[in-house]
Amino acid sequence: MKSLTLRNLSKTYFDLYAGTQVTAVHDVSLDVPAGEFVSIVGPSGCGKSTILNMIAGFIPITGGEILVGGAPVKGPGRDRGVVFQSFALFPWRTVLDNVAFGPKMRGIAKAEREQIAREYLALAKLSEAADRYPNELSGGMQQRVGVVRALANEPDVLLMDEPFASVDAQTRMTLQEELTRIWQEKKPTVVFITHDVSEAVFLANRVIALSRGRVLDEIAVELPRPRSWDALHEDAAFKALTGRVLQLVRSA
Amino acid sequence: MRLRHQLIAALVFVAPFAVLLALWAVLVPYFDVNPRLFPHLGAVVEAGSEMIQDGTLFAHIGASLARVIVGTVLALIVAIPLGIAMGVSEAVSLFLTPLFRFFSVLAGIAWIPIATLWFGYGFGAITFVIFNAVFFIVAYNTLLGVASIPMPVRHAAASLGAGRAAMLTEVLLPGALPNIVTGIRTGLGFAWRGLIAAEMIATNVGLGYMLFVARDFYRTEVIVLGMIVIGVLWLLLDRLVLAPLERATIERWGMVQRA
Amino acid sequence: MTALLKLWGGYLRLTARWPSIGSIVPFLPVIAAWWLVTALELFPRVFLPGPVEVAQSFVTLTYKGILPAYLQDSMVRLAVGAFWGIALGIPLGLLIGLSRRAHAVLWPLLLFFQAIGDIAWLPILVIWFGYGLVTMTFVIVYTVIFPVVLNTVLGVRTIHVNMYRAALSLGASRLRVLWEVVLPGALPNIVTGLRNGLGYGWRALIAAEIIVGTSGIGFLMFDARRAGSVVEIILGMIILGILWYIVDSWILAPIERATGQRWGMVMR
Repeated sequence: MKSLTLRNLSKTYFDLYAGTQVTAVHDVSLDVPAGEFVSIVGPSGCGKSTILNMIAGFIPITGGEILVGGAPVKGPGRDRGVVFQSFALFPWRTVLDNVAFGPKMRGIAKAEREQIAREYLALAKLSEAADRYPNELSGGMQQRVGVVRALANEPDVLLMDEPFASVDAQTRMTLQEELTRIWQEKKPTVVFITHDVSEAVFLANRVIALSRGRVLDEIAVELPRPRSWDALHEDAAFKALTGRVLQLVRSA
Repeated sequence: MRLRHQLIAALVFVAPFAVLLALWAVLVPYFDVNPRLFPHLGAVVEAGSEMIQDGTLFAHIGASLARVIVGTVLALIVAIPLGIAMGVSEAVSLFLTPLFRFFSVLAGIAWIPIATLWFGYGFGAITFVIFNAVFFIVAYNTLLGVASIPMPVRHAAASLGAGRAAMLTEVLLPGALPNIVTGIRTGLGFAWRGLIAAEMIATNVGLGYMLFVARDFYRTEVIVLGMIVIGVLWLLLDRLVLAPLERATIERWGMVQRA
Repeated sequence: MTALLKLWGGYLRLTARWPSIGSIVPFLPVIAAWWLVTALELFPRVFLPGPVEVAQSFVTLTYKGILPAYLQDSMVRLAVGAFWGIALGIPLGLLIGLSRRAHAVLWPLLLFFQAIGDIAWLPILVIWFGYGLVTMTFVIVYTVIFPVVLNTVLGVRTIHVNMYRAALSLGASRLRVLWEVVLPGALPNIVTGLRNGLGYGWRALIAAEIIVGTSGIGFLMFDARRAGSVVEIILGMIILGILWYIVDSWILAPIERATGQRWGMVMR
């Protein structure tokens, strides 16, 4: 696991439909030490997905730089794993093959990579689903596959783009708890994008509030781990933190 | 137990044909139908065994199938890579889609006159018509297939370390495969029709030719034989090759069809 | 680079407002390339004439009244054949879709006769009916009927049983159920079947006109081939393409969308 640094990151692009230059991200700087879980929270269109796409290398950077472990990044790569809102599993491959995909790209032999995949599936409690196809699974299960697929490739940084937004509320809470459990075990460096304030506070060590392409503030979350919804639902500290973040985001 | 099921299903399927054959064997002689209008069942069987024995039936079938196979294989080799290359870029696929749709519409039969002009009569022209039919349909469908792969899936592969070659074989091809298979099925349908039509006017061997020349001599038993052979061949092709291909890809992967 | 993006952006906005432009603009480079290839005489003029010659031929043939007459012949045949194909195909499809017995008896026969294909019938049709409208119509009906029947069956099959129950519990008679539930329910699929059927149908028409025709666009192309005149062949192909493109994109596809999507019914 490595650290992630954003230095004066900005993004301007040409909007084809408006016919003008648009600035989506203004001068964002952020330091994420190795092993930290950071949430970026903000309303729709605030630029958080743009930032994530730039870190992931899916869209080009137009200003500033992104460093992983001190080295600048260029284009997508296995050092930055991604979990997508739409799951983006390969429908033509079994769950096992999906999780083994990253290792396959690294050239790892079949027996070995399937072993790795099974370990990670066990971690997510999905061992029985190994030989099923994604379309046979529920949304929640598919996303768990998405998470371990990214983790199985042992990226330096894990990027999560509103991963639980497409899942029903109950499943979402289960998945959030699962994510914290898995994170406790592997301690990856995580950047988690969401518009859900309580989700951001629940999961992270630090919450970054973003609005209109600019960082509003950073709030440290010092709640003890492991975290569960039953415990935190009525917790005063939790409510205070979510209240602060919510106020920030809504006032901007 | 399953074998019994399948046997029964097969019998149920064949039953209507048995009835049809029985009707044919009885009604045609009963109404004393002019053999120049419609043949007796016996005459067709006789013509069939005759043509099998002297090899002409196989010559015709062989010629037709050879043209279909050559034309189809060539078309696939060109159409699939081209379709993928076009479909990868959103802008390119948006621009080219109307063009390929237009040519898909024309694919096959409409090219027969110009094909015979360019290639003369014979193997070249007919194979071109088949190539043409399969090429445009498959290229168009491949383009659509690749363009319909959700961007996050392509991003996912990139962020898992897939290079250009891996992206092609692991994402683009499987992703477009259902559309490609549909394209192959439709294209072959047009190609098969184009084959028969072209063989009627542009050659001297092949199933279409066999039908057409028999007409001149009012040899209806040869015509009906030919029609049955054509029907059986296409059914075999469809059931044994195309349908399983479709099942293995589209249904297994639960992918929604767009086209 | 921004200039290019500006251009592409403008194009996207234009086609968003007027989709027809998006259907026409991509052909301009093709026509330009065609003109260039023929101007450079990369192929002998006998094999590939230029767009100008084709356009001239279009004007001449229209002026002489040949083109409109042939066009009319082709269109009439297609329309008559399509009409009968639908008139026979929909009831047949409804029957097979609704009755298990009819399905068991007719389905295998349907598949086999579809496999024979329309064109293979031409020789025997010529023996029976000679070269005329009956032969043509038969071929087109034969071609159109199968996609219509198959898609009608599919449409009937996908109607949820609760629709029938709802109608019956609201007091509808069997006949009313047919008219009020089955037909509208299967309509999107029927339209798809019609679209497919016509796609095969006009191909069958062209083939029939080429092989046994005495007039029509297909005949125009084949006759021109016999005379060695490439220009009319290409003209015929372009006209066919444009005609079908128009019919399919501007008439059939909107109908398909209007029924399926308007009623919020998932189609394929």
